[in-house]
Amino acid sequence: MYRRTFLKIAGLGSVAVAAGCSEPEKTLYSLVQAPDDMVTGKPSWYASTCRECPAGCGILAKNREGRVVKIEGNPQHPINRGKICMRGQAALQGIYNPDRLKTPLLKENNQWRKLSFAEAQRLLKEKAAAASQKGRGRIGMITEMAGANLLSLLSQALKSWGSPPPLVFEPFAYESLKAANHRVLGVDGLPSYRMEQADFLLSFGADFLETWLSPVEYGIKFKQMHSVKDGRKNLFYHVGPYQSLTGANADVWLPCNPGSEAALAMSLVHESMLRGKGAGLSEELQKIVAATALPFTGESAAQLAGISIEQYRLLLDRVTASRRPLILGTGSGSASKNSLQTNMAANLLNLVLNPDLELFDFNNRHSIEIADSRESVLKFFNAVDAGGIDLLLLNNVNPVFALPPRHQIDMILQKDALFVVSFSSFLDETTQSADLILPTRLPLETWDAYSGKLEIISMLQPAMGRLTDAPHLGDVFLNIASSINAPIPPESSYKEYLYSSFIEKRLAKSASDWVLALRAGGYFEASSRGESVRPKFAKSLSDDFKNLSPPAETGLTFIAAPSLRFYDGRGANRPWLCEIPDSLTQIAWQTPVRMHPQTLKQFGLRQEDIVHIQSRWGSLEAPVYETHSVKPGVLVMEIGQGHANYGRYAQGAGVDPCRILPDDPNAPDGGPLLAVSPVAIKATGRRLKLAHLDGSRFQHGRRIAQAIALKDLTTGPSRAKPGVTLEDFPLTLPIPEGYDPKRDIYPPHDHDTYRWSMVVDLDKCIGCNACAAACYAENNLGVVGLEQVRRGREMSWIRVERYLDANHPDKTLFLPMLCQHCDNAPCESVCPVYAPHHSNEGLNNQIYNRCIGTRFCSQNCPYKVRRFNWYAWEFPSPLNLQLNPDVTARSKGVMEKCSFCVQRIKFAHGVAKDEGRPIRDGEVQPACLQACPTGALTFGNLMDPRSRVRKLAADPRAYQVLGYLNTKPAVIYLKKVLPEI
Amino acid sequence: MTIDSASPKLTYANIDQTVLDTLRPATRPYWITVALLFLGVLLGAACWLYQIFIGIGVGGQNNPVAWGTYLINFVFWVGIAHSGTLISAILHLFRAGWRNPIARAAETMTVFAVCTAGLFPFIHLGRVWVVYYMLPFPNQRGLWPNFLSPLMFDVIAISTYLIVSSLFWYTGMLPDLATVRDRAGGFRKKIFTILSLGWTGEHEHWRHFSRTYLFFAALATPLVISVHSVVSWDFALGIVPGWHTTIFAPYFVAGAIHSGLAMVLTLMIPLRKIFHYEKIITLSVLENVAKTIVFTGLIVGFAYGTEYFMAWYSHNIVELETFRWRALGDYRIPFWIMVTCNTVIPLLFFFQKIRTTVFWLFGISIVVNIGMWFERFVIIIGSVAHDFIPHAWGLYRPTAVEFGIMLGSFCLFFFLFVLFVKHLPSVSMTEIKETVSAGENHAG
Repeated sequence: MYRRTFLKIAGLGSVAVAAGCSEPEKTLYSLVQAPDDMVTGKPSWYASTCRECPAGCGILAKNREGRVVKIEGNPQHPINRGKICMRGQAALQGIYNPDRLKTPLLKENNQWRKLSFAEAQRLLKEKAAAASQKGRGRIGMITEMAGANLLSLLSQALKSWGSPPPLVFEPFAYESLKAANHRVLGVDGLPSYRMEQADFLLSFGADFLETWLSPVEYGIKFKQMHSVKDGRKNLFYHVGPYQSLTGANADVWLPCNPGSEAALAMSLVHESMLRGKGAGLSEELQKIVAATALPFTGESAAQLAGISIEQYRLLLDRVTASRRPLILGTGSGSASKNSLQTNMAANLLNLVLNPDLELFDFNNRHSIEIADSRESVLKFFNAVDAGGIDLLLLNNVNPVFALPPRHQIDMILQKDALFVVSFSSFLDETTQSADLILPTRLPLETWDAYSGKLEIISMLQPAMGRLTDAPHLGDVFLNIASSINAPIPPESSYKEYLYSSFIEKRLAKSASDWVLALRAGGYFEASSRGESVRPKFAKSLSDDFKNLSPPAETGLTFIAAPSLRFYDGRGANRPWLCEIPDSLTQIAWQTPVRMHPQTLKQFGLRQEDIVHIQSRWGSLEAPVYETHSVKPGVLVMEIGQGHANYGRYAQGAGVDPCRILPDDPNAPDGGPLLAVSPVAIKATGRRLKLAHLDGSRFQHGRRIAQAIALKDLTTGPSRAKPGVTLEDFPLTLPIPEGYDPKRDIYPPHDHDTYRWSMVVDLDKCIGCNACAAACYAENNLGVVGLEQVRRGREMSWIRVERYLDANHPDKTLFLPMLCQHCDNAPCESVCPVYAPHHSNEGLNNQIYNRCIGTRFCSQNCPYKVRRFNWYAWEFPSPLNLQLNPDVTARSKGVMEKCSFCVQRIKFAHGVAKDEGRPIRDGEVQPACLQACPTGALTFGNLMDPRSRVRKLAADPRAYQVLGYLNTKPAVIYLKKVLPEI
Repeated sequence: MTIDSASPKLTYANIDQTVLDTLRPATRPYWITVALLFLGVLLGAACWLYQIFIGIGVGGQNNPVAWGTYLINFVFWVGIAHSGTLISAILHLFRAGWRNPIARAAETMTVFAVCTAGLFPFIHLGRVWVVYYMLPFPNQRGLWPNFLSPLMFDVIAISTYLIVSSLFWYTGMLPDLATVRDRAGGFRKKIFTILSLGWTGEHEHWRHFSRTYLFFAALATPLVISVHSVVSWDFALGIVPGWHTTIFAPYFVAGAIHSGLAMVLTLMIPLRKIFHYEKIITLSVLENVAKTIVFTGLIVGFAYGTEYFMAWYSHNIVELETFRWRALGDYRIPFWIMVTCNTVIPLLFFFQKIRTTVFWLFGISIVVNIGMWFERFVIIIGSVAHDFIPHAWGLYRPTAVEFGIMLGSFCLFFFLFVLFVKHLPSVSMTEIKETVSAGENHAG
């Protein structure tokens, strides 16, 4: 017998034995005829649009063997230019959510009964017909932000039933900004900002790196504006009562009293006009502005805001000295009674400083401007309460959670006379109160078009097969409406409806145009449709500023801030978003209330104490987090958690801060108030252990996250003689040049052709954690849950460490920490079985099959980036369908860590080999780098002297974390640059 | 040195009688004790099985503290294992006669402690079912263990130590096994006939025996030093502040002997009481052990001081912070337990009154055992909990499963030891007789 034959037989025998022991596979698919775009082992990419927030970023969805496994930004998309935030990454966990509803449910005697989709649609049809026969306006609809085509279909259908068009409800609808634009600029809407062209940025609370308008877009633009160029760095001032992530990225954060922003901004208008600014405005306008700003002197405003006059003067100097300043108003989180005035004042300041408003783009506005105001939503519900309608249709909105509890939306929805149909796929608070749940397809499964900005049309197409039989919302309406005699074109499906409307509007001239648009992701040419909008200035302004509410001088102010992770709460059922900690507090799975140490001392509280917060409108209990990132007397809590229903990950986690906010909208603009004052707090005597990931908030002098003053950078390197200590150890590249016989016993590694390396520019890192989310998605990382995070067992391969300045604890440095792929790796030498293995391309590979779990590598890793599988982590079905087939899923008992996305390197090798060339610089993009909105990460081959990483490694800012251990890390950091204030 | 109270009444016959009396059929309390200990062993085994099925996460280890009580107990038991060989081999070479009455029990303690210690690396592993990857067996993939890893040093050192100390123990027992054989009957006789390897006590046997024993003693002596040095390199070869120091080998060896001697006292005092060994294991023997404990305690205390001096002298801020935190940080209580129990309380043995009172000897020996356990806690847990990256700092707390396994390990050790004292001669009759005859020849 030949050896091979023997092995085959032996192999078969052992397979038979193994198969006998294990549970048999239930289904086995064999694709006799695979679809054209499905080749086993090869991904197909479908261009689509992210619908996790109204910004509308373009995405590419990676499909492997029929299922979406990863979402990346669409590089051609003008909004996000190939980048995507953590919420966008987590869209996958919406479609694969284990708590997603698979069938329609009908409420009978407070029990849910399963229906088929056909039955549910029939029921809906009956109800619609009955309601429309009763009279006009008997059907109401509230929808989330949707594309123009879908909205027009919904409106058409409702119109045919004699009902008004649907209400577009978004919890963050920028009412005050819209009103301010209307009053000051005469523009009804939300112009976008050419932030990248500014040379100075001042924000009165706009949190444009988290949720404000279009966070990825402004994250990109912000760093274009705010990075070192030719020895200069533009400044960013943030004025507000608390630091959002945006505030933490400011060069200067001026903590002002809540509600004083408007006066402060107006005083800047006043003072800069005194300095001769605003000369470019028409005389009439100058007069109006000057008259409005007259009462606001610098000194009084600074006093009102609680900032020192020196700081104020410095700000004024900066504002007046810059050529192209951009002033942003408040964000949703600092929405106080004066937010309209703040936004107006910001607009006025922009006008005065830059009369041409060249940083405003009035044509390419943010489409969320069509969202209805909070006031109209509440009015609508009042009408519903009064019995105005019989049938209420809800498309993916959660007003029960988003609106203050005193409106009792759930009670309104549960009225017997009202039949409520929810098209949501999740059993959230609102859906729970519905009578019929008819789940519709989620964005990654649908045909649609959506415009995040008015000049863009971004396409959606199904990126995967269907997991449920849920119909498209458009199909539901086409189906129902056509059978009730609606004047709707007789298309059989929403896709055809969409296509024909594109043909009709001459967007697509032919089917091939349409396909090209689908492939590209949409129509991105900035061909301005409609005439260009020019601002029309107001005639009088001072009325608004006369009734400026004074900031609360005594008492505490409570602020509910929009969350980077959960947005308005819709992300709370995505395990990745819960597991990845909040950037500023480093707390996962929980929402604490942030308080200043002074406030804590005043009330005899400590961190982790559960505090009872009482406002006029309600009360809540939440754990305390001590931080200098809020002004004394201010309590900040992020919106998003505290769901009563919303699936296993959201339920019972955290507290909803909105429940103590004022019930009524802010009168002048109709927007919600997210700040409330005064509130009373008292200790409950109970404590809650916070799941914080940081062991210490400070660096303890260890030069981990480093910064350099701009002037030191421009004077050039004053390199002291290299030594061997923390302070003077030289940069030692993980290539033969980095070895010095005086220091190194062992010879360098032989790397053939490639030595992979990453450069992390701390000056560009904004701490948004998009990298971490991308890594969770790409590398099949386990989600461990609250209790295990508390025990320090989170599995993140890349974490954004947050360090506070020991002398100024309100100053933050972010440092992405991942495996450093050391050339002299401490983990490699201590493993008894060579499970950590140094590859010939310099990667520190972890061989999972070889690992026996001694954990010595982790103990000896100075960077503590290794992660152990303490248990077999669960991916509750169908979350397991998201697992990347290119990456091994690890079993319990083995160590794992960042691999520099070795699967992507291998893929690039395959492509390069097919084309007979070496891998190009920039061809390999690890998942973290791919997602990073600001381009803080660079990856490449250090052996190539022309590679970008090699050039960046020669930057005077380059250093290695703990380089003095002579580990020769392949991750090289560039120091953050601190401009002169 | 001789045994002062051994001279008048101790004869060959009553030595035999005293020792062989211990091997009489056991009483009910004895078997109850054995059964309870066995239950403890089962409990530990059940905890381990549970851990294997569920995952290491049932323990308290985390990131950054990936090593927990399993490694603490490993080092603790290896440390206990030291004094046996020290007493039987090194003191044999130095002709310290006072070691004879306790040598057998100490050696037995060594063998069982090594066995117990040897279990912990297995318990500790994430995937114990593939532990054979550590063996250098030929395989078609050409994979070989990494002999640069201190854990491979451990495998070799511990297995060598186990083999040598077991053989040493068995060899030393041969004449005694023959004595038991001669007095036994029935099934026991058959067993002891096999165990005693045909010992007849003829001159040639005695000549080979004493040569072998001497050579074993000479061979085992470097092992006493090497094994715990190697164990210390598990830590010292790491780069973690608090581990990465050259003092670790002597520091660990001294600590091991310290704990081992304490364990000898802990075992001998009840043994002496229960089996009426007062005439053989006299107070002065115990007193000598106590004097040695003072010495090792001072060495250990010196090592603690040296670590602090080096941290200060290095001007390395990471080292400085590690040692500042060790004494004042979250784990300050274990640290001060360690300092007090290991270096301060043993100084009481300077008082003759204390070191000749059985109560104090026993009590302080327990205290030192506790202190030495906490020393390993401070080193193993405390160092990585607070190392280079402040963001990654974290704390560790053992869980019920870990305590179950720890209890199981103590039960296993005492289970084996209790079985031993009733079934094999727990005092070396041969060596006592040597002492007695030496006393007759030289002192009498």
